[in-house]
Amino acid sequence: MIRSETRDHVRSISLCRGEKRNALQPAMLDSLLHELRVAASDPAARVVLLLGEGEVFCSGFDMKLVHNDAAALPALLASLSACVRVMRRAPQPVVIAAHGGAIAGGCALLSGGDMVVTDEHAKLGYPVLRLGISPAVNAAGLIAHVGAGIARERMLDTSAITGRDALRVGLAHRCVATPADVLPEALRIAAELAAKPPHALAATKALLASIDRVDADEPFDHGLAVSMSLVGSDQQRERVAALWATPTPTKPAP
Amino acid sequence: MSLATLTIDARVARLTINRPEQRNALSLDLLNALHARVDELRTRDVSLCVITGEGKAFCAGMDLKAVLGNPAGSLELLTLLAELTYKIRTLECITLGVVNGAAIGGGCGIVTVCDLAITFAHNTMGFPEVDLGVCPAVVAPWLVRKIGPGRARSVLLAGGLMDGTQARDIGIVSSLVEHHADLHEASERMIAHLSASAPNAIRATKSLLNTLDGSLDRELLLRAAKLSADVLNTPTTQAMLRAKLGA
Repeated sequence: MIRSETRDHVRSISLCRGEKRNALQPAMLDSLLHELRVAASDPAARVVLLLGEGEVFCSGFDMKLVHNDAAALPALLASLSACVRVMRRAPQPVVIAAHGGAIAGGCALLSGGDMVVTDEHAKLGYPVLRLGISPAVNAAGLIAHVGAGIARERMLDTSAITGRDALRVGLAHRCVATPADVLPEALRIAAELAAKPPHALAATKALLASIDRVDADEPFDHGLAVSMSLVGSDQQRERVAALWATPTPTKPAP
Repeated sequence: MSLATLTIDARVARLTINRPEQRNALSLDLLNALHARVDELRTRDVSLCVITGEGKAFCAGMDLKAVLGNPAGSLELLTLLAELTYKIRTLECITLGVVNGAAIGGGCGIVTVCDLAITFAHNTMGFPEVDLGVCPAVVAPWLVRKIGPGRARSVLLAGGLMDGTQARDIGIVSSLVEHHADLHEASERMIAHLSASAPNAIRATKSLLNTLDGSLDRELLLRAAKLSADVLNTPTTQAMLRAKLGA
């Protein structure tokens, strides 16, 4: 469900579960983590490009699996946190092609991107508080990505924002007209970055990581622990189960 | 009628600044009333606290007229504001500012301390403190956390006012409607949406955010209140305020 290839010094890593809106399963997220680690330590990969096949970049964790398998959510949270850390600390720039939508865990992945490309009508956000899940797991990554004020706003407001608004708040750095324009723009940016001296890019990324503290594990670990602390709570189990409950017609109050 | 009212319905609390005849300007009495309501709210289990102003203004800022020539009163006023912002920030629920009208100086500071805020395009907001010879010290830490140090610097040093669109564009408010007439419906929609989140997840997330972004630094706020009072009590500022306020 993850494919990796290198062309002209650009290592493209694709989420290949387009028929399920690239919903993340533990094994899939582990392969992504593996490919990101391999790329980060490979000098032949001058740029990492993360993209998703199908209609949207990534719709987040596979909630059906979270509902059916109690071990899925903790595994997904731990791998998600690791993916964002690897991307933020990778020596080469990470470009993300976030077409169509990036929701919940999919939106969290964007915090690993140095250059995030989206389209005007894409939907991006963290609706997970409604499910009794805390987006805390990526708080450190999101604060480094968009600043503390916008991170607070996006984590506590469960409504999605458009690609255009994502550009305004800094969640995305380029916004093109349609989903089909996203990958060509991301490839163009990746090619430009691949032509720049890698040692200068690596030194600059390392400096920025030390300034925004993403080189430290403590804030990431703290957020991961907060999200983990809610796993299996009554509120979470009830709300996740309700996603598949048969809707019953509500009676008007007497 | 109290200077600040608190109503709680289901999981939504509504805190209203209620001194409309003075555009909800923050006097000692009003700040004490707000403290009492927020203290009461802290004992209640809610998911969302909506903060708004009665009448045409959200809050016109500090009521400085009453503390002119009174250094102890100035320090008390600013310390009460500092403590109030800390109390609002450390509520375990989501806070939403429904900015129904002008939000100036300390009033805009209350908007800034909220997690989320909604207003309309042609509203009047901002931090004109420096124009009056006043230092916006108490709001500064909140504004830095909200919009980043670079933007906060440009806003606080430039003084003056901005409209709702500008406040949204730089990140002081999170949502915007075009007209004042649209605000009620849009904010009620937002309230219904926000209050549907799981209470334990809200609590855990807020507590983490407050820890990670430095919001728990109460000492900084108290130092800021002292600095602001010191500047307020300089003869130059006192003279400027007397001229401005006609006192």
